[in-house]
Amino acid sequence: MLIEDAAYGNRWRRVSPAAKAVFALAGLAAAFAAATPRAGLGVSLALVAATVFGARVPAGRYLRVAAPALFFLALSGLSLVFSLQPDGVGGGLAFRATAAGLESFATVGSRSLGALAAMLFLVLTTPLLDIMGLLRRCRTPEVLLEIMVLCYRSLFVFAAAVQDTRTAQAARLGYGSPRLALRSLGQLVANLTLQVWQRAQTLHGAALARNNDGPLRFLPASFAHGRRDVAAAAAAGVALIALARGMA
Amino acid sequence: MHIIEGFLPIEHAVGWTLAAVPFVAIGVRQVGRQIRRQPELRMLLGVAAAFAFVLSALKLPSVTGSCSHPTGTGLGAILFGPLAMAPIGAVVLLFQALLLAHGGLTTLGANLVSLAVVGPLVAAGVFRLARRAGASLALGVFLAASLADLMTYVTTSVQLAWAFPDPAGGFAASFAKFAGIFALTQIPLAISEGLLTVVICNALARFNPRELQDLNVLGRREARV
Repeated sequence: MLIEDAAYGNRWRRVSPAAKAVFALAGLAAAFAAATPRAGLGVSLALVAATVFGARVPAGRYLRVAAPALFFLALSGLSLVFSLQPDGVGGGLAFRATAAGLESFATVGSRSLGALAAMLFLVLTTPLLDIMGLLRRCRTPEVLLEIMVLCYRSLFVFAAAVQDTRTAQAARLGYGSPRLALRSLGQLVANLTLQVWQRAQTLHGAALARNNDGPLRFLPASFAHGRRDVAAAAAAGVALIALARGMA
Repeated sequence: MHIIEGFLPIEHAVGWTLAAVPFVAIGVRQVGRQIRRQPELRMLLGVAAAFAFVLSALKLPSVTGSCSHPTGTGLGAILFGPLAMAPIGAVVLLFQALLLAHGGLTTLGANLVSLAVVGPLVAAGVFRLARRAGASLALGVFLAASLADLMTYVTTSVQLAWAFPDPAGGFAASFAKFAGIFALTQIPLAISEGLLTVVICNALARFNPRELQDLNVLGRREARV
């Protein structure tokens, strides 16, 4: 996973997750506070610069992670730009680009870019385990945290199982036609569904064997200079919001 | 279809988050109670969330020749019930945002309502109605999965139309526009997901009828056949 690779390999890996979350939240607030598209783009650029130049996430990897979201943003933008209007000739309705639609797309697009850049800053600099540790400190319900922990620790196992099964099916021409592909995919998912029970039972047995009778606890990671980092992130966040308001 | 990060205005983002919170809270309470009664469920739900996450990364061939990923809401609701799907859906959608940059944090509430609340409720309701009306397992599963998929996209269209009403035609014109765009791709995809879910449930009924019986998906007589 591209995001996980960057989260573990960036320069700000050992910076307190709380500080990075504060800066990302300020980025989200700045994206929504930006009154003009220019201000929204300014916020986006500042957040991209913090991620690429500050945390030293490679620009190529950043673009590869952002590409699907940018594609969806462009696609969604089309639905804002074009409006259903009377045809004029046959009395029917037709899609037409409007000035109001373009203006709306500029506002929404720049805000979405800013918010996306804020989210990417957080996920590309902070491993999911650190984010889960932060959520635990924020008193997230234990049930949700347990589902998160188990989900995170199982999803790579499932991803590997999917890859192996698909390779075996493809080697037997299982994806040779759409009909065969649907059949193979159905069998693959049915097999995975069975593994859900088998793996859950095995995990439960393993937990019981270790006297586990409650929440799953893991040693939390410690970060030096936590308070200093949070203060610096808060100051940078305030500056970002001021930039968003100032460029209006 | 996930609404991307920052796309909804702030009041809509907050409103949909507040709308999603009670469903997740009820789901968390119900799941917590079930875990106290059956501790082995804890692992099952966590592993099921990983399964749903991986399922959403699979490419599903569509009858139009395009491809997309299954939502999994129909299958999840049939197997685990609609209320359990809210906390599982919350985790899966959060992971999709944090690990794949798919969806977003400010749009998490809106995506939760469409994918983890409306979809599973429709799937569970349709499946029960179909089974009570005497429909076969395959027909019940197909209707539940397809309609859940379709209602997910209808809900997303409502959310977008409400946030961005058409300057000339208002909410109705905007809804027609969003639903029309989605319908081109989503009706074939809903049919594909329905067929896929039938293939999955048939395989489960054939090789693991006991598990389906434990989850009240299969009747005793069907499990023996």
